[in-house]
Amino acid sequence: MEEIISLKNITYSYFGKIPALKNINLSVNKGEIFSIIGHNGSGKSTLLSIINALIHPDSGEVLFKGKAITENSLRDKNFAIQLRQSMGFIFQNPDIQLFCPTVFDELMFAPLQLNIPYEAAVQRVEETLSYLSIGHLKERPPYMLSGGEKKRVAIASVLTMNPEILLVDEPLSGLDPKTQTFFIELLIELNRAGKTIIFTTHHLDLIDHLQPTVAVLSEGHTIRKTGSATEILSDEEFLISVNLIHEHIHKHGEEVHKHNHLHYVFHKH
Amino acid sequence: MKSKIPTYLQESEAFQPDIQGMRRSRFSFLDKTIMNSARTVKAVYLQAENATKDNFIHHIHPKVKFISLIYIAVIISLVSNLTAQLLITAFIMLLFLLAQLNIIQVYRKIFFLAFIFGFLVVLPASVNLISPGKIILNLITFNRPYNFWIYHIPQNIGFTHEGLQVVCMMFLRVLNSISFAMFIVFTTSFPAFIKSFKLIGVPDTFLMVISLAYKYIFILSRTIEETYLALKSRLTGNVKNSNLRKIISGRIFFIFKRSISSYENTYYAMVSRGYTGNVKLGLSAAFTAKDFIALVVIIVFGLGILLI
Repeated sequence: MEEIISLKNITYSYFGKIPALKNINLSVNKGEIFSIIGHNGSGKSTLLSIINALIHPDSGEVLFKGKAITENSLRDKNFAIQLRQSMGFIFQNPDIQLFCPTVFDELMFAPLQLNIPYEAAVQRVEETLSYLSIGHLKERPPYMLSGGEKKRVAIASVLTMNPEILLVDEPLSGLDPKTQTFFIELLIELNRAGKTIIFTTHHLDLIDHLQPTVAVLSEGHTIRKTGSATEILSDEEFLISVNLIHEHIHKHGEEVHKHNHLHYVFHKH
Repeated sequence: MKSKIPTYLQESEAFQPDIQGMRRSRFSFLDKTIMNSARTVKAVYLQAENATKDNFIHHIHPKVKFISLIYIAVIISLVSNLTAQLLITAFIMLLFLLAQLNIIQVYRKIFFLAFIFGFLVVLPASVNLISPGKIILNLITFNRPYNFWIYHIPQNIGFTHEGLQVVCMMFLRVLNSISFAMFIVFTTSFPAFIKSFKLIGVPDTFLMVISLAYKYIFILSRTIEETYLALKSRLTGNVKNSNLRKIISGRIFFIFKRSISSYENTYYAMVSRGYTGNVKLGLSAAFTAKDFIALVVIIVFGLGILLI
């Protein structure tokens, strides 16, 4: 399969002092679902920002279809537009992502910046509104929507770019179970349509649902292991060592007992 | 299973009264902050709700409303005839009725503002000290007129016919300006209205900044409300003013930090979706026959008023 994203020896620190990522190497193929998992503060979101060229690593190389993404290469406006158009970033917090006055403007923003003709952009927006069942929100200001509605608008605002790669930071964060299911099904459908999906999470049940290739970030901000969903989820000891599952107290009626915490895979008594 | 929970958490807390006595808690500033933030949020909601009503006045193109606002403001300032000003007042009231807005609630606000800025401020102009003329209501009578430096104080001080006319004219001008501006605010969505600024050549980037600022006020008000509610829930009894100042300054710094983080991430979100320094905003919808009719009605009305 064609390699679409490649990270080589990436190191990044905040303010040159607080380490966020150390010597990261990974490779994502076209059409793949790829997940970066790790506990809070392990550097997952930072890694997505680096892939999207929003921040640049202290050292190492990010390659998009074999071409290096650097501050210098982004000065080439055509390359910058191609890169932005190819990658859609769905942020964890939709309040940050949604900055336009109305939902319609929000969906129009990216196509207009990427020089898509106005009429084509409008048609694309109308189709996306209908696809995500948010047509009734079209003229509403995004900051007045509910959490689930904001998330749908955030997804729609990225889909109108028709990106080749979707970067999704914590897809299930802050969503009710129904919206979570909707989001998971949407990701599967988009992947079937040929989109490459890279997402971060610490929900192992999401890994079980989407069966991605998984890279596990450790507390030391390095990649501890890369493998298939089955390989990662079946290695209980490894998941305990990277704090992704842990022993917890559990209640059944009046009986209280301890077991390893992972409701989908390791919920055994 | 051995519990690690601290002992005090396993016991009920005994009530310990304030040893300084029965003084009342003084956190009214917290309530005021919370109420003011809540009011801002409510005002934004109300405006948005009013502006999206399904009514033909609401559906008129924002650009028509923008042109009308400037046109009517010019007419109001040009007209120096009380009858014509009263006709404008009646016309604006009719517009409010057609838009099916709560006229009593809206006019309560309008009259309050007009009373302060259009009546109280210009009231001194109604006496003969400022507007010489025929006194129709005498207020004070001195033994003789006084001259002081460049000032002349007449023997009789009172309201003059000319002065009252000036006050009435100013009051009606302010009332009409405020009420027409309010009419536009209550019948137009804020984003659509901002977009119509393009008519006078305001660049897209500036319009984007206004929209972002508007969104920011809304989000900031909510953050302040949440922060102060959390603070209020944990403050009991009497707290020293110096300690309160420390807490509040800490909260202000926290809100400032959140603002910076929000600004940075919003910028990243814009860059991620293709922003390269120049914002390109969409076109607004084209004028319909209804919009042209509305524009003609306003223009004809304005010209008619000028002829009175």
